[in-house]
Amino acid sequence: MAWYRRFWNVLRPGRMQSDLQRELSFHVAERAEELQDGGMSEEEAVRTARRQFGNYTAQVERTRDMDIYGWLESFVRNLRHAARGLGKTPAFTATVVLTLALGIGANSAVFSAIYAVLLRPLPFPESDQLVKLAQSHPKIPQPFVAPVRLEEWNRLNNTFQAITGHYTEDASELSGELPEKLKLALVAPRFLQVWGIAPALGRDFSPQEERFGGPNAVLISDRLWRRRFGGNPDAVGKTLRIGRSAYPIIGVMPASFLFPDRDVDLWSPSPMDAPYAQSRESTWFTAIGRLKPGVTLAQARANLASVQANLGREYPKTDAMIGAMIEPLKEATVGGVRRSLLILFGSVSLLLLIACTNIAALLLSRAAAREHEISVRFSLGASRASVVAQLLTEVVVVSLAGAALGLVVAAGASRVFRSLAKDLPRIEEIGLDWRIVLYALACAIAATLLCGIFPAIRGSRRNLAGSLAQAGRWQVSRYNRVQFALVGVQVALAVTLLAGAGLLLRSFQELGRVSPGFDPEHVLTFHISSSWGETADQKAARQRVDRILDGLRSVPGIESAATALSLPGVPAQYQIELKTTEGRAESEPKMLAQGRWVTPAYFATIRIPVVAGELCRDEPNTNTTMVNRSFANGYLAGSAAIGRHLVQPANAYLPPGEIRGIVGDARETGLDREPPPTVYWCAGSNQPGTYFLVRTHGEPRSMAETIRRKIHELEPRRSVYDLTPLRDHISDAYAENRLRTILLTFFAMTAVSLACVGVHGTLSYLVNLRQREVALRLALGAVRTQVVRQFLAQGLRVSVLGCMAGVVLAVALGRLLSGMLYGVSTSDTATLGGVVAIVLAVSAFASLLPAMRAARLEPMQLLREE
Amino acid sequence: MGAKKNDILQGTLALLVLKTLSSGRRMHGYAITAHIQSVSDQLLRVEEGSLYPALHRMEQDGWVRAEWGKTEKNREARFYSLTAKGRKQLMQEEESWARLTEGVARVIRYA
Repeated sequence: MAWYRRFWNVLRPGRMQSDLQRELSFHVAERAEELQDGGMSEEEAVRTARRQFGNYTAQVERTRDMDIYGWLESFVRNLRHAARGLGKTPAFTATVVLTLALGIGANSAVFSAIYAVLLRPLPFPESDQLVKLAQSHPKIPQPFVAPVRLEEWNRLNNTFQAITGHYTEDASELSGELPEKLKLALVAPRFLQVWGIAPALGRDFSPQEERFGGPNAVLISDRLWRRRFGGNPDAVGKTLRIGRSAYPIIGVMPASFLFPDRDVDLWSPSPMDAPYAQSRESTWFTAIGRLKPGVTLAQARANLASVQANLGREYPKTDAMIGAMIEPLKEATVGGVRRSLLILFGSVSLLLLIACTNIAALLLSRAAAREHEISVRFSLGASRASVVAQLLTEVVVVSLAGAALGLVVAAGASRVFRSLAKDLPRIEEIGLDWRIVLYALACAIAATLLCGIFPAIRGSRRNLAGSLAQAGRWQVSRYNRVQFALVGVQVALAVTLLAGAGLLLRSFQELGRVSPGFDPEHVLTFHISSSWGETADQKAARQRVDRILDGLRSVPGIESAATALSLPGVPAQYQIELKTTEGRAESEPKMLAQGRWVTPAYFATIRIPVVAGELCRDEPNTNTTMVNRSFANGYLAGSAAIGRHLVQPANAYLPPGEIRGIVGDARETGLDREPPPTVYWCAGSNQPGTYFLVRTHGEPRSMAETIRRKIHELEPRRSVYDLTPLRDHISDAYAENRLRTILLTFFAMTAVSLACVGVHGTLSYLVNLRQREVALRLALGAVRTQVVRQFLAQGLRVSVLGCMAGVVLAVALGRLLSGMLYGVSTSDTATLGGVVAIVLAVSAFASLLPAMRAARLEPMQLLREE
Repeated sequence: MGAKKNDILQGTLALLVLKTLSSGRRMHGYAITAHIQSVSDQLLRVEEGSLYPALHRMEQDGWVRAEWGKTEKNREARFYSLTAKGRKQLMQEEESWARLTEGVARVIRYA
């Protein structure tokens, strides 16, 4: 019977049963007919036939058992053999199971992350219809959309079900004892409709609530609901005090709804008909749309492009240069981490491959050691298939054990992963479920085939006469060459991984060595809650910020205090185009620069030196600016820049700013980037999310409580939050980088140790195999150092060849890392050289141990045993 | 239930079935019993309770092949036929049977 039929029988006993019944009842019917022909009545014939047949059900069962047993029996027999064989060599079994557990565990952990982040659809109904929209402008990157334009896009297109938008601000919630900072998302109409999500409790916003001047309303997160209201459904209808207004809670969102991001606790409508939302130039919404069923991305792009082109004709001044960009929401969410995850996946797969190669080499030694046993089995009439099946069963047992243990490893690893990669999008969705178990099983099967088939086929080669004739007499085995090739492959793969890790480490080191042009030490940063509504009264807002800064400067232990809209050293881009009112020649390059909004004390606080001119002052009626050296030298012929006036054509409200001085270049847009030309507007900023920076005398964190108290004294209705040293912000910005480096280094080190185990194991085996030969040579007067040298050379030759292959592979795969490296090239000679040196040193050590053992053999003792 | 004289000696059922099928015809279980009974002139009677487990066991071992078909009376039945492996097995069984009977015969004759 074909194996699949047997398998089918085990899986579908019901069907088998009915087949059997058909077969057996046919027999009874035939017998009855015969009896009837002999003159019995029909009834009697059937009864007699049945009686003769005996216990019908028992027959059915016994027969069925035969079908299953035949197959099961040999499987169980093989299993028993395997278990006994493995039990006899616990060290071997443990090594193999642990190696596989590590390999499969690491692989499954990374796969669980890849599955949750990259493969699984976003947790919304029909999530492939969701897209992110943005305005595009040939010169100025504009990730956001103006409210008016958002409404027009929504109204005029015919490929979207709906388009909505949102932005977030930090809010102070005052109904508790102390002000609590909560993240509030202000959302355009149709917000829940686009997501396709209904509140878990309560209702969506009503049209009145979405209108300017309409009643307030807020949806709260599941998290806030449990924390504040203990998960009581009565929460709907209660009131929160956000800033100066009261907001009735109209509903609770499901726990799985984590948009715009996982920190948002409140959702409230942003009225599109508000007077401040009518400018075509101020953009603030992150726009999300839901495509109509069956509409492709290309169709939507074409449709929205023509809608925007029409708007361009209608409003040439503001809209002519603007386009519409559409990107799948999933891509926008996880696209940035794809490469990192795939690189990790590649490296754990290499690791698993090394583990399998290692085990294959071990199994080869084992098969060679059992050659005698196998030839005896052949001579007793075993078929080759049954010998292969038995050898493979052993591997199946260890790989299943490895996979089971691997899942435990994966569960632990994915917890570590979650805590290390807090900023990874969708990280909360990572978990172990049946798919991961299935994946681990698939890994186990792949591992079985990879490491089992070859040794099994080799081991089961029929060589009866030869092998039996040599019974007990060891001979240099034909397995050596294959085994050394496998070890070479391991070394090569380990070198490849270590080279990748080495490049990342070097790049990290280079990054640490960079002189950023500012001093991030002893600087504490924090936010003070405020809302966009308060920015309507610029004068009051400005006075408030000044009062806070003056108050902070009066605190002992604080050297200086300033605000900035973005933190120095944390990657962020805010490119603007500038013109001077004095005019420049048409032939000169466009003035493109990073725009930063800072108070004048910013430069002293993070220690950026003023190199020419004077420090700007925050004057109420004039606008002053500072520029950095690259800007002055690049666009305005150095110190001649001072006294010129800059305007920002895209922002008509901004009065011209006079350049008062030039400061040194600093790597404010990220430590890994050259300082770009930068313009500092010395007006400070009072919008929500503005950073306060203070330079402290001592350890910045120790000032946190003092600052909190001082602000509470000055502004009792506001909350202070996110008190973090600038140094931590900067290192967090490179967290993904760091995680990648840590993990890859870990994998590479595991790979190198596995390769060493391989070198050591194979060479030890060889020494065992040849100990009689060595003993004979020693007895005949060979020098011990010669013996050591011989085995050492054998180990090193493999390692050198492996290293050469590894370097070639590393250079070829190095392209994958380009763009992730800073200050090192993908074929950095120093790194590759170092890696080769490390691997050679370690493998020399691994070879030395068995080589020494060979030299210490006692010839007389061994030869006497013969 | 006392053992009847014409019950088949344990271990010889396979030999009988294989031999029956060796004519090359496909036969269902009932036909096999009928054949053994009639050829042995009613001396041997195959117990249904042993026949079907034995047939399925032989199928597992690859000695016989089974497939569904129709009888002349248009009934559904499972037909068995001999495989190459089964033919080899038959030769072995015949040989060992011959040795056994010869051995037994000698003992009876000379002991």
